[in-house]
Order: sequence, then structure tokens, then C-alpha cells
Amino acid sequence: MDPELINDCVHCGFCLPSCPTYVLWGEEMDSPRGRIHLMKQHVEGTPVTDEMAGHFDACLGCMACVTACPSGVRYDRLIEQTRAVVEREHVREPADRALRELVFQLFPHPRRLRAMRVPLRLSAGLRRRIAPRLERVNPSLAAMADLAPDPVKRVRLPRRVEAVGRRRATVGMLTGCVQGEFFPQVNAATARVLAMEGCDVVIPPSQGCCGALSLHSGRPGQARRFARRTIAAFDRAGVDTIVVNAAGCGSTMKEYADLLDGVWAERAREIRTVDLAEYLAELGPVARRHPLPLTVAYHDACHLAHAQGVRSQPRELLTAIPDLELREIAESAICCGSAGTYNLFQPEAARELGDRKAERVLATGADLLVSANPGCTMQITSAIRRSGAAPIPVAHTAQVLDASIRGLGRVA
Amino acid sequence: MATPQETGPDAPQETGARARHGAGARDALSATGVTVRDAGPGDAVAGVMPRWVALPESTEEVAALMRVSAGHDLAVVPAGGGTRLHWGTPPERCDLLIDTCCLNEILEHASGDLVVRVQAGVTMDALAEALAAQNQELALDVPLAGSTVGGTLATAAAGPRRLRYGTARDLLIGLTVVLADGTVARSGGKVVKNVAGYDLGKLFTGSYGTLGIITEAVFRLHPIPRARHWVTAVLPSAPPAALSAGPSTSPGAVAAALAASQAEPSAVELDWLAPAGTFTVSALVEGVAAESRAGAVRDLLAGAAEAVPDVTGGGEAPGWWGVTPGEDVLLELRVPPSGVDGALRAIAARGLPARVRGSLASAVLQIALPPESAGTEPTELAKLPEIPEIPQLAEVAEVAAFVSGLRGDVAPLGGRLTVLTAPPELARLVDLWGPVGALPLMRRVKERFDPDRRMSPGRMAGGI
Amino acid sequence: MTETLDELARGLAGVLPPGAVITDPVRLRTYECDGLTHHRAVPGIVVLPESAEQIAAVVRLCNEYGVPFVARGAGTGLSGGALPRADGVLVVTAKMRRILQVDLADRRAVVEPGVTNLAITEAVREHGYYYAPDPSSQQVCTIGGNVAENSGGAHCLKYGFTVNHVLALEIVTPDGDIVTLDADDPGYDLLGAFVGSEGTLGITTKVTVRLSRAPETVTTLLAAFGSIEQGGQAVSAIIGAGVVPAAIEMMDALAIAAAEAAVACGYPAGAGAVLIVELDGPAAEVAHQFAEVERICRDNGAFELRTAAGPQERAAVWKGRRSAFAAVGRISPAYIVQDGVVPRTALPDVLASIDRLSAEYGIRVANVFHAGDGNLHPLVLFDDAEPGAEERAGLVSGRILDLCVEHGGSITGEHGVGVDKSRYMPKMFTDDDLDTMQLVRCAFDPRGLSNPGKVFPTPRLCGEVPGVRRGVHPLVESGRAEQF
Repeated sequence: MDPELINDCVHCGFCLPSCPTYVLWGEEMDSPRGRIHLMKQHVEGTPVTDEMAGHFDACLGCMACVTACPSGVRYDRLIEQTRAVVEREHVREPADRALRELVFQLFPHPRRLRAMRVPLRLSAGLRRRIAPRLERVNPSLAAMADLAPDPVKRVRLPRRVEAVGRRRATVGMLTGCVQGEFFPQVNAATARVLAMEGCDVVIPPSQGCCGALSLHSGRPGQARRFARRTIAAFDRAGVDTIVVNAAGCGSTMKEYADLLDGVWAERAREIRTVDLAEYLAELGPVARRHPLPLTVAYHDACHLAHAQGVRSQPRELLTAIPDLELREIAESAICCGSAGTYNLFQPEAARELGDRKAERVLATGADLLVSANPGCTMQITSAIRRSGAAPIPVAHTAQVLDASIRGLGRVA
Repeated sequence: MATPQETGPDAPQETGARARHGAGARDALSATGVTVRDAGPGDAVAGVMPRWVALPESTEEVAALMRVSAGHDLAVVPAGGGTRLHWGTPPERCDLLIDTCCLNEILEHASGDLVVRVQAGVTMDALAEALAAQNQELALDVPLAGSTVGGTLATAAAGPRRLRYGTARDLLIGLTVVLADGTVARSGGKVVKNVAGYDLGKLFTGSYGTLGIITEAVFRLHPIPRARHWVTAVLPSAPPAALSAGPSTSPGAVAAALAASQAEPSAVELDWLAPAGTFTVSALVEGVAAESRAGAVRDLLAGAAEAVPDVTGGGEAPGWWGVTPGEDVLLELRVPPSGVDGALRAIAARGLPARVRGSLASAVLQIALPPESAGTEPTELAKLPEIPEIPQLAEVAEVAAFVSGLRGDVAPLGGRLTVLTAPPELARLVDLWGPVGALPLMRRVKERFDPDRRMSPGRMAGGI
Repeated sequence: MTETLDELARGLAGVLPPGAVITDPVRLRTYECDGLTHHRAVPGIVVLPESAEQIAAVVRLCNEYGVPFVARGAGTGLSGGALPRADGVLVVTAKMRRILQVDLADRRAVVEPGVTNLAITEAVREHGYYYAPDPSSQQVCTIGGNVAENSGGAHCLKYGFTVNHVLALEIVTPDGDIVTLDADDPGYDLLGAFVGSEGTLGITTKVTVRLSRAPETVTTLLAAFGSIEQGGQAVSAIIGAGVVPAAIEMMDALAIAAAEAAVACGYPAGAGAVLIVELDGPAAEVAHQFAEVERICRDNGAFELRTAAGPQERAAVWKGRRSAFAAVGRISPAYIVQDGVVPRTALPDVLASIDRLSAEYGIRVANVFHAGDGNLHPLVLFDDAEPGAEERAGLVSGRILDLCVEHGGSITGEHGVGVDKSRYMPKMFTDDDLDTMQLVRCAFDPRGLSNPGKVFPTPRLCGEVPGVRRGVHPLVESGRAEQF
């Protein structure tokens, strides 16, 4: 924990209302300002106590506070460093430890995740019936079962998708672990949209997890391993721009140069990571948009809005579609509670935040929810299901654009 | 805790004390160098005659008088223009009337800062005249001619424009007071924005002289608007029909529409002869663009006054504007704005003839019983009859029933009814103030400021 | 923790929900200061009540044990008003944040004390209403804290302060009673006295606020001047012309540089001062006033004028101003935010004197202020690594307050006295003035348990009465009352 970064905090409190856990509990220790204070206590010699670790674990890492901070405090860096310290110095309860192991052995590995989909291939009804029982045994497992979307058919993407019409650029595309396994249709749409906008899309098959989940959970060693592998994969594929459609992955990949050292940091700097919406907005449209008569609520994924500052671009892309009406969700800056692995490790808080978000999403009365992060999509979908309200379809920005450009008249 | 309402020494002891200390006190008062004279019939405070009247010319002189009063256990009542001296409950005792008429200097008019510092005895008229020379004003309407700055503050009086500018408490930024023991205390200052220390100005505003004597005040000022336009309309038919029939033409609905209007009227006033008269509503618009905005107000009123399209407008206020509706029995009704129609309905249902007038949009109305015979023409209010006209006993009982009945009617609407002034016969029959929320705290404040109960004892709510 | 606090904590756990009593030392320390960090005290106990009844129970227990208590909202105050007591209980109202009632017909809302200032406006904005006082921390500061501090904001020039917009309060008195103070109640204006009493008269548990109609038009003008003197003259001329803008804000070159570094606000290059003038109200009035303000700015040497009409353009103009405090962190390692008031006409004199002080002590001062009401916020910059710099900055900061008092102003326009400025109170008030104020304190809080050590430099024991006082009060003598 860098004392210089800690001292940048002037204790003004502007971060409080942006912090999901402060919004839930109203306690100083569970606010960014309070957590920085705890970090300071640790730097000044207080060992990591159970209480302290609990407050750090409760942080979603949504980075809304980074956006809110007028003094430019790098809370993102601080919490990353802190999580590593907690992992190193703090001895967790055995059950907690076991769960964390399970998640970290599972999620960043697409093949293992794929195997996991078999037990999840239960009907939604069955899942709901076993959920209360799971809840008693382990709320985290219940959360996991609750979150998993209905399985879809696997989509095998080609190594390269040719640009439609004149080629304007060549870009790499990250498929992501969760996106790739649970939402392959989003990746297909992303590739199509990029191609229709004149990009050759390179999809290296050897790519794996980008390291985001590990990094956000205090496992920088594992994160660095994944990062190096990802860089190598795209290097080999010969692209210098990687388009990412999952917010969490994009924000981590943009920080590769800081995560890695020496020659790997150099290699990281030579590759540009860019979010899909950011890239499309920058590129400008060539493909014609067909009308989509829909009201759409756009959900700001924290790792897109706060970590990458991408807010206006997806909105601009959506409103450029004829007949599409965009509605804002109240408290849009507050996290939905997904936050990477958060809903697995802090299921109660995640559920409360998910319910809060679902309520506000439903209040928009929109036909479709657009979310640019697979974690958010799963989290909000399951919260809406829990609320008993009629489910609202959720799509990625890429899918909406894909539907419009292809003139489908609706989002698949 | 203390229960100060029980602390007043009973009457026989009091008389004894006065007899013992009488002559010595008078000499000591005179020794301060302040002009002191024996009281005459015109000096009575709500019917209670003081023994002496002192005419100090400075805060220091007031302090000297108060020190003597403390030493001789004299009960003191401050007086300004005397226009509201008969308001409130009569004092339990009154030895010395401190007349602030000679504290009549405008000490400082910092026109660049829109601030004025005045002595308490300056009349509101004199102040207005002086400020107008610099094209500025204290945006506080004075319904009673001849009233002073100190008296206006002590009774928290305000007029029509409370809607836009607030009341005395909102315009007062600094205050100098002399406490019962002669301590001179200041709070606030000469700047509008100031949060240093407690705001004693708020505490003394409306304190009826029970905490100390206001000797100086500092106010924030406003530029005199370039133009003023009044728009007056008579709303259709008499109540209760109008009140229950079309909600959009009821006084309350009209007031709500005007208050929400982007024409931003400075005041929306009502004049009504209960129980059966028509409602006259008048709105004031101030500013450079007052005329065009008055047009918008006129349109709005014309919509409501459809049945009787008696909508007039212009640069002149109606004769009744900002004039107290009567002086014999004067009540003040406050209700949340949505309760106005309900309150008017309750007044009508009581059946007594009464003149109802006041701020419709702020929902602060004065009710005069019996109504002035002259109708809408203001009477010469500065000159009060020395012996108030006493209504017949039967009438008094009727009025008392009106007060307690109406108080009960408006309570469910969140309303409060107080009696500002009433002849002693009536005052004996009803509680003038009605229920007071934080009375125990108020008593504790009084106990701290005036532990011996010598400042206007008993003049205010709850026997304070 | 002392035995008394230990016992009290057990008692508190009995009257509060599970988890609402904090005694863990690591957690307690996170409450050691509010927005002003150089005063710190780790509270003995922190409680997080959820209702007025729970606060009343907490206060009654504190009375039972003779333990002081301090109320805290979001902890954003800048005068240490919510500085905890090591020997006391910190009562945090952050969990009491329900908007209980919005009543547009009566133009009022009833909210719990932990509701943020901005949340009120957000709840009524769609209906065309807003809550007028707008302290710059409005998205985080709570209404309970606003009541305690009588918070203002940039727009209080035209619309007034918290005290002008609060219609009723429910409070827990320092002896644990729940009392309602209502503006419409006859008797003393205790509501007016309570607002701005900085938590020394009790704890606010419910607030009824006035809702204001959103103005028809809002126009914001940014004017760039060569010097701060020209800007100051323009301010005087605007007020002198009878225009009452919603806000007039000024920033000097150093403050502009800081804002530029932080948020790239894009103010005109080379400006010695910028003035932000916001006009609002009926369109016809605003149009006229705007022309007048524009003319006055030009006449006083404005070399560039920009007008923001829409909400986005307006936000862009305000961005630099709103970021100014935090932004100076980018041009200086450390700084003190001062808050003082001078009569508007004294602004040029005082600013020149601040310049001289700055030169004399070798300390840079950036000026950001609410020019319309003479409320200065000098930012006194220093490098905490440089020996003696902090002391010199402290001296400059204190001398600026002296200047304010000398010119008939105030030692605080909006941040409050708290613990930070209580020592300056005697510069502004005499002992008699302060003793008189403390009569109110003693009436509400005879035992001095509610936020002791704030506002007053020398808290008076409520048994002592200033000035002439003869003998024992009959009530005390008869045993019907006691003096503490």
C-alpha cells in the first residue's frame, strides 16, 4: 500500500455516495474514504485484523469512487495493492479459503468453466427449486447457481473474419472466459459488427483469461501469468489493437503496462486495448443502421464507466439507431453488485445491490436492457428473476448494433 | 427541571415589594441620567399600567436602566411605536416602560453592501424613506403605520411580500440586545453570510420583549424593484359553494397556481368578508419585466375568475393591501398551503361575520372580529383608542367559541390559530396562543435569560 | 476503553439493532475526523441508530453515565464540528436516510437527517421543484449536517441559507426528549436558534424542508478580467445596478491554474480573474438582467465573455469553480481552506491585504470566493516537507480572519466555528456576547453533554450566570429546580 497514494486522500467524503457498500450500510469503514483510512492504519503498523480484511473484501472494486474523487486519488491502485496484502498476510477461515480456491481454479479457465456448464444445464425451474437448499449449505454456491444464465449453444468463432467492403482496420478481438462460455452470441455479434464496419477481425484461438478476476481479487502473480499469455497470443497473431467487449477485461488489459515489468511492460505498451464502443465511436459508422423500434435502458458497467471512462460512446451508438429510444437508469453510477467475483464471495451484499439495480431498471419501463459486461448481465437478470417481475431481455451493445445493421428489426 | 411558570411571586408579596422599593427605584432610575417620567393612561401595556416611563437614547442608557431595574426588582416592558402594545397577553407586572422612541438613529446605511444598521426606535416608515433615497428597501411590509424596527422584530410582524422575501427573521442579520441584568449582547454582524455563533436574532424575533430589549438591528436590503404591478380578481360566488365546487377556482387552488407560476409573484393576498362575501385575490409582481409578467398572472386569474371576469390590473395596490383587517379582535391563522381552502371553509361554517385578509400563497391569514364597518378602507390605526371598545358579553362568548372552535377545525389541517389581540374579557375566556410545541424548552430559555421574570413577564405564549 | 464506556456500550447494545454499536478500535479510528483532518480524536464508542427513538435512548443513556455525545452525518464538515470525543459517543445518522414524504401541494418534504442535500432535489426535480441551499458538497453532505451548520452555497446570495428553507425539525434534546420545533408554532423561534448551533443544542432526527419552484430560466455568464480588481469592481457595479444574481463567484489566476490542471475547465487564457454570474428567474427578467450584467462586465474591462444556456454548458462553466478546492492539491502538496466574510465593498482592500500577507510570509494564496456576498475562501498553499512552512501558512490563514473582523465581517460564512475556529470567536464577540449565547446552550443542555468543546472558546458552566445575579434563585432554594 503506497503511502504517497494514501496521502492524496484529503478526507473530503465526496466518494461516499458513489460507493455501493456505503449506499447499503452507511458505515465509514465500508466507504472508500474509510478503507483508505484502514490502509493508512495498516501502513502505520496495525496488522490486518479480521475486521479490516472484512471491509477490504466488501469493496466491489467498482471504481465509482475514482470517478467521484476530486483529488484524483488512485483508489483502484490502492485496493489492488491492499488485496494482495490481505491475501498474503491474512489467514482466512477454511470455508472461505476453499471457496476462493474453487473460484480461482474455475473461472479463469474456459475449459473448466465449460465442464461446469453441465451441472448448470438444469432447467431454470429446477434451479430455483434447489436454490433455497443451496442457500442453507452455502450462500455463495447458491449465488453461483442462481447467476448462471440459461445455457446456449456454443459458437465456434473463426481465426479471422474478413472486413465487409473496404477494409479500414485490422484488430484483434478478446473472447474472454465468461463472455466466451456464457455469452458466445455476444462475441459473434461483436465480430460481425466490426467486420461490417470495415475491420478485419483476428481472433487468436490460443487466448485465455486476461487476468482480470485474479487481479481484482489480490492474486497479482496469477494475473501476471495470464497477462503475459494474452500479450503473447495477440503478438503472435500480429495485431497491435485489441478490441474488448467485456468491461472488466478491458479495464485490466489497459493496465497491463503497470502490472508487468521490464520487457513485458514494453510489449504491453505496444499493444492498444480498446473497448468495443470506444472503438466504434472513434472509427465512425459506415454500415447503414436500420430502425429498431425499441426503448432501451443502458446500464453502465463499472469497469467501463468508472475504470475506462466510457460513458458517452455506447449511448451515442445506441441513439444513432433509428426509432430506438434510450432511457437512463436512476443511480446509474452505483454498481449492480456483480463486480467480477464479488457476487460469489459477498453474496448478501451483492444480492441487495442487485435488487436495488433491478428495481431501478424495471422503473425505466424499457423493452430491453443493454449491458456491456457479462457479469452485470448475469447479476441483473438473476435479480429481476428473483423480484418476480416479468423478465426483461438483456443484450450487449454489440448485439443491438448487429441487429440494427443487419436489419433484423429486433434484437436476437 | 425548573417549571418557571410557577416562579412568579404571587400578587400580595409583589405589592409589598413595590411599596418598599418604590421611591428608591425611581431615584435610581433618574440617577442614570435618562429621562424618566411617571406613566400616564396612554402608557398601558395590554391594560396593565406601568409606574414609570424611561426614554433612553442609547444602548448604554438602556443597559444602565436595566441594571437599576435588576437592583430594584423592577419588571420592565419595552415599547416602540405602541402600535402593538396591546397585543399578546397582559404582563404579570410592569414597573418600567422603556420607550425606545429616542433610539431613533439610522446608524449606518452601507448601500454598496445592501446593509443598514439602525436603532430600535426608528420607525419603519422613516427607515423606508431614508433607504429609498438610495433606491433600496427593507423588503418587509409594515401593516401598522408608526411601528418601529424594535416592535416589528419583537412581534415578528410581516406583510404580503413574505412569500418572496421571508419575514423579519429572514432579513435580520445582526442584533444588539440588553438583557434583564443590563448585559449588552450582540450576535450576527454586518454581513449577510455569517454562521459564527448562535443566531440570537432569530430567538429575539417574536419574543415579545420577554428575553431582553432590542436596541439595534442590522438588516439586509434589496434594491427597489424598477416596477410593481398588482393584478386583482374577484373569484366566483360565495362560499361554501365555491370552496367545495370547482377546486380550480377556489382561493387555495388559485394561490397554488400562482405560487407555482413562472411569473414569480412577490405576494398573493386575499381579502374576504366571511362568511358569505366574495373572495378578492390580488397578486403583486415586481421587477423590470413586471408588466409582462403581470400579464401572465392576469391570464391565470382570468381563468379562475371566469364566472365574474372582474380582473383589473395596474400599478396601484388595492386599498386593503397589507392593511391589518381590524384591531378589536385580531387572530392569526397559519396552515400548510394545501389546507387553505379547508380553513376558509371552517371559517365560513362558523357563521360569524369576520374580515379575513393576508398572505394566501404563504397561508398566513389574519382574521378580524367584528369586521371593520368601513370595509376595505384602512382606518387611522396609529392612533389607538385609549379605552378599547368592549364588545357585549354575549358577543364575547360568541367570539370565544369562534376561536376555540376554529382552532379545533384547523388542527387536523396542520393549522394553528393564535389571538394577536383581544379585549381583556375575551382574553379571560380563551387561550390566546393555543398549543405550543416546544413549551418546556421555551420556558428553559426564558429561565436562563430572565431568571427573575422581570422582562415583560407573562406576555408570551405559555405564560412566558 | 474505560469502565464507564464499557458499561455504556453494553447498555447501548440493548437499545440499538445488532451491529449498531462499534467498539472495535480499528473501526473506531475511521471516525476520528470529519472533512477537516488536522483535528483528530478516536471516539470512545460509535453508534449507528436508525430512528429518533433509538437516538433518544442513546442520549438518555449518555445522560445516565454523564458521557458526552457528538452527532455526525456524512463527516464532510470543514471546521471539525463533528470531531468525536475520546470519552464520548459518536452518533452517526448516516443510516437514517429515508425521504419520508414529498408534498408538492404544500411545497415541502419531510426527510430523515442522513438524507443527502442533493437527494432531496433529485426526488422532486422531475416535478419542477428543488431544494435551494446548495453547498458545494451537496451530493454527499447530509441535511442533518446542513441544519447543524446552517449551510449555504453558491446560490444563497439570492435564496438564503438552510435556516430560510427549514420549516420544522424534530430533535432529540440533550436530555433525551423528542421535541418538534415548528416555524408556525407561537412562541420563541427555537427552530431559528437551533439551525446553525453546530450540534450543541441536540440532535436533528427529522427535517421538514421547503421545496422551491425551479426557475423558468437560468443563464450563466463567464467573464474574464485582466485583474482581480477589475472583477471586484464589476461585482460592485452589478449589485449597485440593482441586479440580484443567483450567484456571483470569482476565482483568481492561481485558482484558475489549479482548476485547469485538475479538470481542464478551459477558462480564457491569460485571465487574472474570472467571474461566474448566474441569473435565474422569469425569462423576461433574466433577459434584461443579462444584458445589464454583460454591459457592466465589459465596462469594467472584461476581455472575454461566454454565455452558457443549456445545462451542459452551465456544468462546464461551473466545473472549474466546483473543483477548485480539491484541485489546488495538484499545484501544492498541502493547503489550508479558509472561510471568512467581508462586506462586499471591502473586497478590493482585503484582497490587496491578502496579497501583501502572501508576499510577506512567502506563502502563496489562491482566492476562490462567493463574491456576491463577500465570502472569501482563500486557499493557503504550502509544502509540508518544507520546515516551518505549515506554521507560516497557519499564520497567514489566521491573519486573513483578522482582516475579515477588522473590516466588519465574519470569521466564518459557511464552514462553521466547530473546534477549529472557536479560538477566533473572541475576536468577533465580547465575553458578554458569548456568555449570552451560552444562555441558550444552558437552556437546552445544562449538563453540557451535546457536542461539548465546539463553537465556544471557553464553555461556561451552566451554574454560573453572567453579570448581576443576586442570591439563590427561589426555585433552587425551594428544591424545585437544580442548577448544574
